[in-house]
Amino acid sequence: MIMVKIILLAMVIILAAMALLQKKTVPSVISFVMMMFLLGIYYLLMDEKLLGLFQIFVYTGGIVVLTLFGVTVIGAKYPEITNRPWAIVIILIVTIGFLIVPFLIPSMAPAEKAIPASEQVKVFTDRYAELVIFLGVVASSILYGGIRMLHTLKHEKE
Amino acid sequence: MVGFYMDAFFAIVLFSIGMIGVTSKADFLKIFFSLEMLLNAVILILASAAYHLGLTRGLAIAYVIIVIATLEAAAGILIFILSYRKTKEIIPDKMNKAVDDDL
Repeated sequence: MIMVKIILLAMVIILAAMALLQKKTVPSVISFVMMMFLLGIYYLLMDEKLLGLFQIFVYTGGIVVLTLFGVTVIGAKYPEITNRPWAIVIILIVTIGFLIVPFLIPSMAPAEKAIPASEQVKVFTDRYAELVIFLGVVASSILYGGIRMLHTLKHEKE
Repeated sequence: MVGFYMDAFFAIVLFSIGMIGVTSKADFLKIFFSLEMLLNAVILILASAAYHLGLTRGLAIAYVIIVIATLEAAAGILIFILSYRKTKEIIPDKMNKAVDDDL
């Protein structure tokens, strides 16, 4: 099982790098979407069913639609990435720092009593469900308003 | 515990890839992908901590992050499309110059 998880996570990293290195937009979008989908599968393997389904249906699905909408409006040919040398150095320092932090966590934060998977949904609905629904309504309103605005702008131009 | 370290390692690598993308002179879409990678790395750490260490409070935050990220994606793509229509540029670094030229 652990080998399957390692392979899944390695594929996630490879697909993430491919999403940034691809010259054409559509393969880049496909790599990115596959990365998010595999992460969703990984959460399902970890018994985080709600999170996995959220990741696949809400996150991956929503972002695919939005990015494809953007690609159809803008076009499929984008320029290549050029990196800033100072940024690479800072990122290397930050990464090495982060790699040390997980080894400090057990001494910093002792594990609290685990909530069984059947009660996790209850914890979520008790604490955050209303906030999530509210943000979902706001998100859909922004999306709808944006599309209406583009529609209006297009007609104004004509 | 080994499982958590493994997840944390991959999450940090994913976070680094995202940071490289965010700081590069890439087009808007790739910067947007990189931002999502940063958020995904955080969600991976939270889920892993919930599964391996029993820190289940993080899981609720992960759900909220997913919803906010979707919202951010909607707003971000629309801003991108509108700025493209205005400046005809897809690289944020060059947008300033395009706006100055227009003025």
